[in-house]
Amino acid sequence: MLSLYLPGDGVLHRMPPGPKILTLLALVLGVSLLPAAWWAACAAAAMCVIAYAVAGLGDGAVGMRQFGRQVFAIRWIAGLTIVGQLIFLGPEPAVANTARVCAAIIIAALLVLTTRVTTLLDTLERALRPLEFVRLDPQRAALLLTVTITTVPVLAGLARQVREAQRARGSSGGLRTFAVPFLVMALKHADELGDALAARGVG
Amino acid sequence: MSIQLSGVRVRLGENDVLRNVSLDLDARTGAVIGENGSGKSTFARLLGGLISRTEGTVRVLGLDPGTQARQLRRRTAFLFSNPDAQIVMPTVAEDVAFSLRGSGFGPDELKDRVNTTLNRFGLAALAEHSSHDLSGGQKQLLALSGSFVRCPELVIADEPTAFLDARNARHVADHLFRDTGHRLVLVTHDLTLAQRCDTAVLFADGRIRTVGAPGTVVAEYERMLEC
Ligand SMILES: Nc1ncnc2c1ncn2[C@@H]1O[C@H](COP(=O)(O)OP(=O)(O)O)[C@@H](O)[C@H]1O
Ligand SMILES: [Mg+2]
Repeated sequence: MLSLYLPGDGVLHRMPPGPKILTLLALVLGVSLLPAAWWAACAAAAMCVIAYAVAGLGDGAVGMRQFGRQVFAIRWIAGLTIVGQLIFLGPEPAVANTARVCAAIIIAALLVLTTRVTTLLDTLERALRPLEFVRLDPQRAALLLTVTITTVPVLAGLARQVREAQRARGSSGGLRTFAVPFLVMALKHADELGDALAARGVG
Repeated sequence: MSIQLSGVRVRLGENDVLRNVSLDLDARTGAVIGENGSGKSTFARLLGGLISRTEGTVRVLGLDPGTQARQLRRRTAFLFSNPDAQIVMPTVAEDVAFSLRGSGFGPDELKDRVNTTLNRFGLAALAEHSSHDLSGGQKQLLALSGSFVRCPELVIADEPTAFLDARNARHVADHLFRDTGHRLVLVTHDLTLAQRCDTAVLFADGRIRTVGAPGTVVAEYERMLEC
């Protein structure tokens, strides 16, 4: 779901990571605070499109190819959110809320698309340093956040393996038959990763 | 001087996984063999400071992995079977550079070291490639790069070729055996690989059964498997 770094030299790529994080954070907050109205849904969508257009992603389609990829990547989240809210809240809030949530995720994705994880790690480490006095280890916290981001593709791979194994055994795959092996594999991965991080002299 | 254990017991959960293990290992390369569950991984993890002993004394490169784990890890590298668990960063070059975090090298020196290592392991062309999309063999080479970029004095490898096909297994083994001034402790089920080591240790049921020349130890292991 979280897409990886896209090499490039657009506006966002050249922006120093600190201000970039703050800018994107402000945008995410902005869309999150929109009211539950039709015009707000349009505004959220428009903000996304504009953000991708001015980011200078260099995908040969004014950022719209990447924008499309991100929308496609969160189709399940979008679907679940809108169905749940349609039932309980009615069409206008459902569409507006879903648009806000999706817009927030899609705008946040710009950070990962235009910043190397190593840079992100360095920046987070520096940004979290003031929290040292509340006994938070900035190195550990930054590493934890980074590893969380980079583990997403691994978990996606595990999920695919579990589904394939079930299909191979002729099972249609209910939630339980998926969740148990997936959790076991995910926990095993977490365990191994913890060891590997320790062995690599960090963590 | 390299690895010394005396009267070591390791308890994990309800079991004594290692019992009364004493060993003095000073060979450049040492193989660790034995059946599944005999305690090989526990022994390897003990040497790497990933778990601690319950009883006895352990010295690795003159350090106690229990109390000096950080210093020890700076001088050792650990390689697992599953390369997926060892890869942390999204691209190949970044993952190798990750091993040098906090080592105080400037950006140029860092880049230099990463490039030299990637060249050595044949990954230079893949530097910007997504690390999770590599083949199994390439991933293990990346894990090796992440280990060797720190110029470890001791490399502990727990069945590093278990997930690889014959060609990749050989390739990885060749890198491990190539003398770059490091010592190697190699846990393996591949008895041909064990024969390439200077000495071998046979584990059975949480104890050391034999230590000696690989030919002798492997022969004993094969006799043991027959009955
Ligand atoms: N965390 C643990 N808790 C309890 N028992 C464990 C743990 N890890 C390993 N064991 C047990 O210790 C024994 C030796 O395991 P291990 O060192 O992994 O053997 P090997 O690598 O030779 O196959 C096995 O019987 C295993 O079940
Ligand atoms: Mg093992």
